[in-house]
Amino acid sequence: MWANNLRIIAVVLGTLALYTLIANKIPQVQSEVPHALTLGANVTPEQLTAAGDQLYHGAGGCTACHGLGTRAPNLLTDEKGLGPIGARCGKRETGKDCKAYLYESLTSPRAFVVPGYEPIMPEMGRILSPQQIWALVAFLESQGGTLDVTASDIPATPAAVGGGSGGSGSSGGIAGGSTDPMTIIRGAGCTGCHKVGSEGGAIGPNLTHVGSRLSASLIRECILKPDTRVSKGYEKFVGIMPKIFGNQLTGAQLEALVQFLASRK
Amino acid sequence: MAGGMMLLQAAADTAGAYRDFPLIGSRAAIWIAAEIHLMFAAFVLGVPIFAVVAEAIGIFGKDQRYDRLSKEFTRLLLIAYSATAIWGAVFVFLLSTLYPKFWAYMTAIFGVSMWVYVSIFFFESFTLYLYYYGWDRWKYGRAKIGHWCLGILLNVWGTIVMFIADSWLTYMMTPPRDITPETSPTSIKLWHAILNHTWMPINIHRLIGNIVFGGAIVGAYASYRFLAARTEEERAHYDWMGYVGNFIAMSALIVLPFAGYWLGREIYQYDQSMGITMMGGFMSWLWVIQAFLIAVLFLAGNYYLWVGMGRIPGAERFRPYTKWLLVVLVLGALVWGTPHTMIADSRELAAMGGSHHPLLGALGVMSAKNTAVNLMILSTFLSFLLYRRANIRQVVPWAKTGTRIQAGMFVIAAAIVLFFGIRGYFVEAIVRIGYSVYQVGAVLACIIFVTIIDVLMARGAQSLGAIQWGRMPPRSQYALFILAVTFTWLMGLMGFARSGIRQHWHVWQVMQDMTPYAATPALGYAAIMISTCVLIFLSLVGFIFWLGGLAEKSTFVPSTVEAPHVGQ
Repeated sequence: MWANNLRIIAVVLGTLALYTLIANKIPQVQSEVPHALTLGANVTPEQLTAAGDQLYHGAGGCTACHGLGTRAPNLLTDEKGLGPIGARCGKRETGKDCKAYLYESLTSPRAFVVPGYEPIMPEMGRILSPQQIWALVAFLESQGGTLDVTASDIPATPAAVGGGSGGSGSSGGIAGGSTDPMTIIRGAGCTGCHKVGSEGGAIGPNLTHVGSRLSASLIRECILKPDTRVSKGYEKFVGIMPKIFGNQLTGAQLEALVQFLASRK
Repeated sequence: MAGGMMLLQAAADTAGAYRDFPLIGSRAAIWIAAEIHLMFAAFVLGVPIFAVVAEAIGIFGKDQRYDRLSKEFTRLLLIAYSATAIWGAVFVFLLSTLYPKFWAYMTAIFGVSMWVYVSIFFFESFTLYLYYYGWDRWKYGRAKIGHWCLGILLNVWGTIVMFIADSWLTYMMTPPRDITPETSPTSIKLWHAILNHTWMPINIHRLIGNIVFGGAIVGAYASYRFLAARTEEERAHYDWMGYVGNFIAMSALIVLPFAGYWLGREIYQYDQSMGITMMGGFMSWLWVIQAFLIAVLFLAGNYYLWVGMGRIPGAERFRPYTKWLLVVLVLGALVWGTPHTMIADSRELAAMGGSHHPLLGALGVMSAKNTAVNLMILSTFLSFLLYRRANIRQVVPWAKTGTRIQAGMFVIAAAIVLFFGIRGYFVEAIVRIGYSVYQVGAVLACIIFVTIIDVLMARGAQSLGAIQWGRMPPRSQYALFILAVTFTWLMGLMGFARSGIRQHWHVWQVMQDMTPYAATPALGYAAIMISTCVLIFLSLVGFIFWLGGLAEKSTFVPSTVEAPHVGQ
C-alpha cells in the first residue's frame, strides 16, 4: 500500500519537476513595463534617441514584428534596397516628411500601410506616452536619416497628430482645422484604407457612393464608433479603423465630413 | 516641471490602490488563490457533467454500475464544493484587500452580476445536496428520471456560474473598444461589458476543458484505487472506471483545440498586437512547452489504449498498426513543437542564420502546426476505433463496404488537412487562418461520420470474447496519473497565457497595473508557480479521495454482466 503511494507521489513529483525544469531551461523573456519618460524642456536629440533605442528593443515590443522580415518592414536594416527606416521614411507618403510619417505610423498606423504588409500595427498612442512616442520617432530617424526631433515637438503632440505634413498644424482638429471634406479625408488618412472617387485603398469599404447605402446619422456613427456597424465582407477588419476621430475632428469638421459623404449617392 | 507634476499625479492615483502580501508578494498570493480556485471549479463543473452522463447510461442502458459510478463521484463533489468555495473566498478577500482600487472598478461594472453569481451558487449547492442525498430515495421509475433531471439542473447552474465569472476575466482581457481609461466604470452597461470579444470563446473552451479535466481526475482516482485493490473484482471495476475516465478525457480533448482556435482567432480580431504578443512575442516559447505537454497527453492517452488492447481478445489483429500510429504521433508532436519566430538578440539570430531556422523554420509556421495537430487527432481517433472494434466481428452484410468507406473518409480527411496545410504556405496570413476551419471541419466530419457508420456496423456483432477487465499492467495506471498531472499543469500554463497577454494592464489598455509586480514574468517563474499550484491542488484532491473512501465504503459491486465498451 505504502509502496504504491510512494510510487504515485514519485510519478507526480517527477512529472512536475520535469515540466518545471524544461520551462526554466528555455530562454527567459519577461514582458517589461514601459517606464514613464520624464524629459525636461532641455532634452537633447541624443537623449531622446537613447530613450527610443531602449523602448524599441525593450518594453515597446517593436522587435516582436520589425526585423523578422515577414510580419512587418525591417526598420534598422535595409528594406528592399531602400535603406533603413531613417533613409526612406520621408519618401513613404506624398506630402509627409520623415518626422510626420513616423509619428503617424506610430499613432495612426492604419492611415498608411506599406504595400505587401497587413495592417497589424497597434496604435502605440494607446500604449505609450507622447514622450515615449517622440523618443521612438527620434530613434527611428537616427537610423540612416536626419534627426530633427527636438524638445519643442513634445508639447506640440496634439497638433502633430493631425499635422498633415511636417508635424505642423494647429490644435483645431485634423488638417489644421480645415472644413474642406477632401482635405479632412486626406489629412485624417482615410484614403489609406478607403477609396473616395479615384483616390484611396481597398482595405475598407469604398466610400465613393456611401451616401446611397448609409444615412448621415449612420455615417456619423461609423466615424465615431467604427466597430458598431460592420459592412458585409469586411468583418475580418473589425478593430482596424481608429477610434480617435471623435477626439481629433472639430464639430464643424465632423459635420462637413458627414454631409459630404452622405451626399455621395 | 510638467514631468514632476505627472509623477505626483501618478503617486496620488496609486495611493491606497494597492497593498502588498508578506513574503511572496501580492501577485503570487493572488496567483495561487485564483489558480487553485479555478482548478477546483473545473473539477466541480466537469465531474457533474461526467456524473449525469454516467447516470443516463445507467438508466437508459439499464446498467447499474454506471449509476453507482455516478454516485461515487457525486460524493466526492460534496467535499470538492467546500474546497472550491473556500478558495473562492480566499481569492475574493485577497483581491479586495490587495487590489482595492481595481476591485472597486470591477464591482462598479459587474456588481449586479456578482450578486446573481452568489445566488446561483447557492441554488447550485442545494441542488447538489438534493442530487446526492436523494439518490437512494428517488431510485426507480419516474422518480429516477426526476433525479437525473436534478443532475442536469446542477449542470445548468454550474454552467451559468461559470459564464458569469468568465465575463469578468474576459472583460479584463478584451474590454469593448469604446471603453477608454477615461470612461467611468459606472457608465458602462453591464451587458455591454459581458458581451466582449472573448467571452463566448472562453465559455466554450472552458466547458470542454472541464469535461477533459473531470475525466482525467476520474481516471487518476480509478488508477489509485486499481493499484490499491485487493481483489480481482475490485481491480476489474477500477480498471473499467479508469478506461471510462480516459475515454471521456481524450474524447473531449480531441475537440478542445478547435475551441482554442476560435479563442485565438477572436483575440487576433480584437487586437492583432495582443495575438502577436501571445504567439510571437515574449510568450512564443510558451507554445513550445504547450506542444510538449500536448504531445505527452496524446502519447500517454494512446499508450493507455494500446496497452489496454492486451486485455481484449481479438485485439492482436490491430497491434501491427499501433507502431505506425506512434510514428504519426511522434512526428506530429515534433512539428508542433518546432519554434517559429522567437524574440532573439542579434547574436542568436546570427547563429541561427536569420530570424527563422533555414530548415526547421518551415515547420514552425501555423500551416505545419495545424496540419500536425489535425493528423494527431485523426490518429488518436483511429486508436479509439481500433480499440472499440477489437473484440467484435461485424456481421452486417455491408461490413466490408462500410470499413472501406470509413478508410476512405480517413484518407479524404487527411488529404484535406494536408492540402490546406501546404496551400497555406502560399497565401496571406488572413487567408491562412481561415484554412484551419476547413482542416478542422474535415477532421470533425470524419470523426462524426466514421462513428455513425461504426455504430451501425456493430449491430448484432459477433463477440470474440469478453474484455478481461483488471488484466492491466500497473504501468498503464501510471500513464493515467501522468495524464491527470499534465492536464492540470496545462490548465495552469494556459491560464498564465490568457492572463499574461494583458501584460502590465489590469484591464487591457484601460486600467494599468501600477504595482512592482506589473511586469509579466518569464516562463521559468511561471512554471514554478504553476507546479506549486498543481501540487497544492493534487494534495488536496488526494485528501478528498482519501476522505471519500473514509466516509463510505466503495460503491463497487461485482458485476455478473460483461462490461461493454463506452458507446456500445
